[in-house]
This record gives sequence, structure tokens and C-alpha cells, in this order.
Amino acid sequence: MALYLLYESASGYALFLAHGLDEIGQNTEAVRNSVSDLNRFGKVVQLAAFHPFESALDALNQCNAISEGLMTDELRSFLELNLPKVKEGKKLKFRLGVVDTKVGSHIHEVTKIPCESGDFIHELLRGVRLHFDRFLKDLKTGDLEKAQLGLGHSYSRAKVKFNVNRVDNMVIQAIFLLDTLDKDVNSFSMRVREWYSWHFPELVKIVSDNYLYAKVAKYIEDKSKLSDESIPGLTEVVGDEDKAKEIVDAAKASMGQDLSPIDLINVHQFAQRVMDLSEYRRKLYDYLVSKMNDIAPNLASLIGEVVGARLISHAGSLTNLAKCPASTLQILGAEKALFRALKTRGNTPKYGLIFHSSFIGRASAKNKGRMARFLANKCSIASRIDCFADKATTVFGEKLRQQVEERLDFYDKGVAPRKNIDVMKDAIESAESKDTEMETEEVHVEASGKKNKKKKSKGAAAENGEPAADDNPTAVANGEALEDSKSEKKKKKKEKRRMDQELELQDGQNAEQDGTAKKKKKKSKDANGEDLQSADGKKKKKKSRNEDAE
Amino acid sequence: MRPPRGRGSGGGFRGRGDGGKGRGGGGGGRGSDRGSAMGGRGGGCGVFIAKGKEDAIVTKNLVPGEVVYNEKRIYVHNEDATKVEYRVWNPFWSKLATAIIGGVDEIWIKPGARVLYLGAASGTTVSHVSDIVGPTGVVYAVAFSHRSGRDLVNMAKKHTNVIPIIEDARHPSKYRILVGMVDVIFSDVAQPDWARILALNASYFLKAGGHFVISIKANYIDSTQPVEAVFQSEPFEQVMLEPYERDHACVVGAIVSQRNPKLLSEMLGGIGSM
Repeated sequence: MALYLLYESASGYALFLAHGLDEIGQNTEAVRNSVSDLNRFGKVVQLAAFHPFESALDALNQCNAISEGLMTDELRSFLELNLPKVKEGKKLKFRLGVVDTKVGSHIHEVTKIPCESGDFIHELLRGVRLHFDRFLKDLKTGDLEKAQLGLGHSYSRAKVKFNVNRVDNMVIQAIFLLDTLDKDVNSFSMRVREWYSWHFPELVKIVSDNYLYAKVAKYIEDKSKLSDESIPGLTEVVGDEDKAKEIVDAAKASMGQDLSPIDLINVHQFAQRVMDLSEYRRKLYDYLVSKMNDIAPNLASLIGEVVGARLISHAGSLTNLAKCPASTLQILGAEKALFRALKTRGNTPKYGLIFHSSFIGRASAKNKGRMARFLANKCSIASRIDCFADKATTVFGEKLRQQVEERLDFYDKGVAPRKNIDVMKDAIESAESKDTEMETEEVHVEASGKKNKKKKSKGAAAENGEPAADDNPTAVANGEALEDSKSEKKKKKKEKRRMDQELELQDGQNAEQDGTAKKKKKKSKDANGEDLQSADGKKKKKKSRNEDAE
Repeated sequence: MRPPRGRGSGGGFRGRGDGGKGRGGGGGGRGSDRGSAMGGRGGGCGVFIAKGKEDAIVTKNLVPGEVVYNEKRIYVHNEDATKVEYRVWNPFWSKLATAIIGGVDEIWIKPGARVLYLGAASGTTVSHVSDIVGPTGVVYAVAFSHRSGRDLVNMAKKHTNVIPIIEDARHPSKYRILVGMVDVIFSDVAQPDWARILALNASYFLKAGGHFVISIKANYIDSTQPVEAVFQSEPFEQVMLEPYERDHACVVGAIVSQRNPKLLSEMLGGIGSM
């Protein structure tokens, strides 16, 4: 009875025919000896058929199926094509040896091919694995390894859900490029000004903006062609009719030299380049903003995209930023001053890159240091949430931002900020409700305690310093809290569906998590840090008062 | 944050032995006597010793200029003015390094070898193994945790002779399509059924005459007995991993002839229970 062997490799499926073997006569020891020598093994086992995988995607599908123990259609057609037909009722003249019993039983179920696996088959397949690259003449050495490498990578990446969109490298590169571009655009603009001033020196004083200058230079070209008819056109470019008139007047009395047409063409082209670069810089900035919202939405909503991107690039990656302590984050970017102060036992710097966020500027000189420390602490939390949370949400970033604002108010006016635990509870609830928003507006209040258990935010637990279980108050209290937070949610201008009543968790509703949910801003402004767990009516009145006040 | 040495991770000594802090040849920029690389700890080449203020074992960096886990680097100048870069191998973080320092004779991992690494975690030791086997060898790194798996995949992007496999090592049939026959199995799985895992993987992938290197924790064998009683005489080579790891040992053995998995695990289990 013929024995076929199915061998799955990274390049494709292979079918071997083992003949000249009598299983009863052979024991595994003897098989083992024949296995190690290729010549002897080659006499016993020969390649019957080989089916390479069509594409990387196909290979990945097959690999996944094999790891589950299932047979794919491709495998089935390969087997049916190359094995003798299975006739009903007649005695079967061959067997198929496989390594994995699961696959074997599946194959048998579907195609009625008799499969078997056991020590004997195992030994034979070990031999096949050892000598596989010699069997296939078309495969060069190293091809199989390349196939394994590619397939291994795609399989593993699928397992860890390697999300290409959340790669922080893009942001790092973008911010570097932005800085380089700024410098370059500046140098080129200076060059345009100098160059064109040979022809029209007065223009430099009239038009001070670099981009505008390039535009004007491109529009004017030869100043002798300027006349009163060109004023409307010039006004369009410059935006100001007076300026346009000034330009035309200056052109008439200009002391610059004339330029030949070729020279003018060159200046024109260069000015065009500068304008293109400026445009590109703008687009790059938009790209950076959108990328930041993809990979680090909380950080972006807390301190802004550019500062956030700078922090990430300085630390090396989002993970590095999340790993470093908040005190490091505070002085990231001021290393020179820091180590100098440490060496000379002077005062260490109070802020580094953080300084460029708006909050530090708004604090009075006495409180800059305190604000910097507070802000660095919140940034650290935000970056950790961004790095390790599975879903991308800006809720926490916004809540943290509110906390910073409140702290600023406190320093300014002595207004006591809300307690941290309340803010974080709020944040968790909004994060969860966002999870499961619904199309229709329902006002169910499902006081389910398990809601809080679901989204256990690291930040909240760490912040509160309390065991996570505390996050799960009694059902009743929870219901109240939810109701309150419901009534406090306000609609942001662009959001159509959100009402003041919160949309609560329901069973089995598909939730669309809005990854870049900058549109939603749920403000729960609580002026006096009162306990959230008070009656609804009072909250509503308070809210309207707040609305009036704003 | 470390003292400013330029951007990026891994403050490599660039020929400035600043304060001599840290390990390794301390700035091999002065010819081959400082930061000299002597080959051959632990059997065949691939692992070097850097002599300097403090000695350290190092491996030749497969991807010059890149560090995997912020380790230090040492540069050695050749006569023809080229620079060779080595990465320091920290025995506190890697059991294999500990075993080599502890004096194991032969680890069987050498240039051109094919290695199956079970328990790869984030890939810090795997990167050194990949340095040793070089571009002609292959390392199949199996890790189960997804968090560490991400780091492993990222590392494998740079070290192209590492094939990352995020799968449970208990079921080699699941990843049999990705692995060929290997010369050595290195196992650091920290699981109570490590013997069965090793035996199963060996039956699938280890060639006849291949070797295995395992790191065993004493309390997996028998947590009631004192450590000394657990690790007693065996037919295999064994090295205690003190002082770097407590109650760990590294065992090197060979598959002389392939037993069936059940027998093999009994045999391996026998090591521990003696």
C-alpha cells in the first residue's frame, strides 16, 4: 500500500511518496538511520508533487489554517489533484501521512482520504524536513529561509495586531522634517529677497512677510511693466490696496537695475520654489497633526500636537516617553542646563520642552515652576494612556487639560480645583460610554456596576492610589453618578447626535469607537469641586448657570 | 536620561572613556590592546571578551550602529583603520551570558548555526544569539506574550536572521510551517512543564546529534528540597548561575539518538529529580 506524506513548508505544500517500506518490518530505529543519509533516504522517499503558495497573503492564510488544524481549499485541491482517486466502496490503495492529527481528521472528513500519523510518519517527516531543500531543485539555498522569514513576520504581526497606523516613527520623522523645512524656507526666502532687491530694492521694506514677498516678486517680475492697471491684480496678491499702490509708486521711482529676461525667469522660478515649499510645509503640519491624533490623542489634546511630537521625538519613541518618570518629562530638552547645574551644585532648570505649551506662559512668574511640574505629571499620565491603551480616545486628555486649567485658575484666583478622583471617574465613564454609543438616543440608566470594571484605566488607578475595586461603587451610587455625568455632558458645535442625556451602555449594540474624537468635548465643568453625587435638578441649574457665564 | 552623548539610545563609548563608568573596554579607540576582542568563550567563536578596566563579554554587532535594549557598545580599530563594533552582553539580564561567564565549555551556538530559541520574550538575549550565529545562521525565536512579542518583532526587523514566532511553545505543530531543522535548542521558558516542551520541540525540529541548552529554575523541579540537593551530578554539563540568578542552573545536553517524546521527557525529568 502506497504511503504518501504531506509536508507543509513556508514555500508551499509538498507531497512525498514513500515506497519500498513495509511498516511492520521497520521499526523507528532503522528508519532513523536511513533518514540521516540523503542518498538512502532519497531512495525511500521521493517528491511527488509541490504546490507553491500564490502570494504572501495566501501563505499567511495557509499558515493560519495549519496552526488551527484546518484544511483550506487550496490544500484540498492540491491533495485531490495529486493523489489517486478515492473510489466509493473499493478498498483504498494508499494512505496519507500527516504530522498533525487534527488536520488529518479534517482532511479525512472532507475528502475521505485516509490519513494517519504516528511515530513512524513522524520520523519520515523529520527526514523530509531535514533534506527538504535538496528535494526541490528549483529552490536555491536561502530561498526557504527567506520564505520562512517573511511568513514568520506576517504571522507574528497579525498575532500582535501590529497596527501600521499607530507607528510613532512617522511623527518623529515629521517633526524633524518640519524643523528642517522651516530653516530651509527661511534661508530661501532671504535669498529671494536679496536677489530680487537687485532689481527692486524698495519692495523689501513694503512687504515684510516672506511668503508674500515671493508671491509679489513672482507676480511683478519686471517692475517696469507695473502700471496703474496692475493695481487690482496686485491687490489680490497682497490683500491691501494701499500697499499695492505703494508698490506701484515705488516701482516707478525705483533705483534698482534692470534684469534681462533670462534673469527674470530664474528669479521667477526660484520664487515659485519658495512658495511651493511653504505650501508643503503647511501640508506637512496638517499631516503631523493628524498623525499625532492617531498615535497619541491624549497627549495632543493636553499640550498640543507640536509640543507633544517634540517630546516623543526627544525621548526616542512613545514607549520611551511613557517609561520615563514625570520629573524627566519636565526637563526633557534642558539636559545641558540640568547636568551643568548638577555638576556645579546650582539650581536645576524648571522646564524643558514643556515650556512651549501655552499653560506655562499663562502662569505668573512665581508659579511657572509649579505649573511646569503639574503639567509634566499630567503629560506623563497622558503619554502612558496613549502608549498602553488599546483604544484611542481623547477623553482622558481633555479631562487632564481641564485639570490643568483649573489649577491655573487656582493660582490666579484661588478657585479650588476639583478632586482628582472625581475627574478620573468622570473620564472613565465617558470613555466607556463612548465605547458603546448608539444611533438612536436612549435614556436608559443601566446601573450596572460591571461598567466600571470594563475599562480599568491605568491612569485612574494609579492616580487615585486606591485599589481598583474602589472604582466600582455600589450599584445605586453608580447609577446616580452616571445620571449626573449624563446631565452635565454638553454638545460640542459639530456633534449632532449627542444630547445632554448620556447614552448608556446597552447589550449587544455595535459600538464605533471614534478614534480621533476631537469633535466630542464633554465638559463637566464643576465650579466648586462639589461632590458629583448630588441630585439631578441642582446639576441642571448649575449647568445653565455655567452656560450663561461662558 | 543620561549625560549628553548625542541623540538616541545606547550611550556607546565613542572612544571617550568618560569617568570610566560602566563596563567594558572603556573606549577602545586606541588600537587593539584596549578593547581587544579575544575570541572563544563557550566553545566556538562568536563570543568575545573585552579587556579593559572591567572585563566584559561582548558579541559582534550584526547591525552596526543599532542597539536593542540600550546596552553599551565597544569599538575596536583594526590595522586597516576600519572599526568593528561589539555589543556588551550583560549577565544580569541574560542567562546565557551568565552561563558563559560561569564557565560552560560549549554552548553549541556558533556562527552559521541554526538555533531554536524557546522563551524569547522581548528578544534581548535573542539579539546576542543572532549576533553570534551571524548572517549565515538562523534563529527561530518563539515567544508567547504579545507585549514582548511586539518588541521581538521590532528587533527582528533589524536583525534579519531572526524569525519571530508569536506562539505557544507547547504546541510546536502550530508553527511547524515556519521552522526547519535546527542544530541547537535554547530554552528559557520558565514553565513547570519545560521538559515536555523541550522534548516535543526536539522531536519536531532538532536534528539527530543536535544539542540543547536549558535554563532551569530549581523550584520547578522540587520546591521542597534545598537547591543543592536538586542540582546534583548528571551526565550533562551543568553550571550554576549564581551570583547573577538565584536558584537557577543552565544545563547543556545532547540528543544522542532521538527517543520518542515521552521517553525524552522522562529522561529530562530525571535530571531534575536526582
